[in-house]
Order: sequence, then C-alpha cells, then structure tokens
Amino acid sequence: MRWWKWTAIILIAVLACGYGALSYMMGGPRDVYGFLRYALPQWRDGKLKLGDTAPNVRLLALDGQTTFHLSDRIGQRPLVLVFGSYT
Amino acid sequence: MNLYNDYKDRADFLTVYIREAHPLDEWQMKSNVDQGVCYAQPHSTEQRVAIANDFIQRFHFPVPFAVDDMHDIADHAYSAWPERIYIIDEQGKIVYRGGIGPFNYHPPEARAWLEKRFNVTPTPTTSAANGHPTNAAN
Repeated sequence: MRWWKWTAIILIAVLACGYGALSYMMGGPRDVYGFLRYALPQWRDGKLKLGDTAPNVRLLALDGQTTFHLSDRIGQRPLVLVFGSYT
Repeated sequence: MNLYNDYKDRADFLTVYIREAHPLDEWQMKSNVDQGVCYAQPHSTEQRVAIANDFIQRFHFPVPFAVDDMHDIADHAYSAWPERIYIIDEQGKIVYRGGIGPFNYHPPEARAWLEKRFNVTPTPTTSAANGHPTNAAN
C-alpha cells in the first residue's frame, strides 16, 4: 500500500476519533454537527477592548416600533448590558 | 436576576435580545425541547419581538429589555452571540467585557466589578450558569 493510503487512513481515523470524542463531550453527534455548523462560524471575540467607547447601537423597544440608542441609557450610572436569547 | 435585584438601585441594566442560539431550524437543544422552548430563527422584526415578549412573560423578567434589529447590529457591534455581558461606565466607556457564552459567560465577574465599584463586601463566587439572560443572576 502506498504511503498516501496510510496517510488517508490515519487522517480519517484521527477525524473519526475527534468527532467521537466531541460527541461524547457534547451529548451526541448531532450536537457536534450543530456546533460546527452554527456555533463556530458565529463565535467572534470581537475587537472591543476595555476603555473603548461603547458602540452606540440603535435598539428596538418591546413594542417592535419604538427605537432608541444605547447612549440614551448611558450617563447616570454604570450600565450592565446583557446580551442573550430565549433558547 | 439576583444581580439585577442586588444592584438595580446603583446601576442601570439593559437586556438585549439577539438572534436565537438554538432555534428549531438550526441547532436545537434537547433541553429546550424538554422545556417546550421551541422557536424557529425569526425572519422578521415581528417574530423576534414576539419571542422576546414570550420570554419576558414566561419568566416575569423584570430587567429592562431591548431587541436587536434584524440586521443584528448590536450583536455584531458587541460580538455578543450567543450571550455576553458588558458594563459601560457613566462616560460611555467599556469597563467590563465578559467572555463569549456559554463557556466563558460568567455573571459573577460582572458582580465582582459592581462590588468593587460600589465597595460592597464580595459574595462567594458561584459557578456561572450558561444560557439565556435569566442566568445573569449569580
């Protein structure tokens, strides 16, 4: 067998072991796929640093119509900004 | 919500609802199915606002709330997905920048910043829960 065949076999074995280990850690192969397909591409540490001016983004109120800027909530006291979703 | 309850008299809070982390048409989690929290990724402002309102009603969520727009402007500006905490001071500067959830989402770090800022006796650190904004609690 040529060397490249052994290389391919070893590579496939390593990938299979890695996928198996991730499946075990994350609860199942479907979660590994979800992680690789949806989470990994969206994870961004970003470039903001301590001391940077907070981006003054525009946000929606819960009525879905009213908008305001983050700066409207800044200035009186420290602002704890929590990002998240339901799921 | 403990963090909010403990510091709402000294700091402002704002929860920003961003794109779903585990919608049923992407990477749905079994835990969400078990809890009956099953939503597709919103494709309109109305859908996104509706889910945000469902969340608030289910948890009687008292923290001031806002919704990111469908261009995910806030998410992109703060690299917030799937969950993240920042603290912004009175001059508009970032003074605390939490890690990206779920693995580096640690509300106790934000609590520690507030304790230091307001000279409050530190509380024993608890492990951070992952997930949605109700876990900005420790």
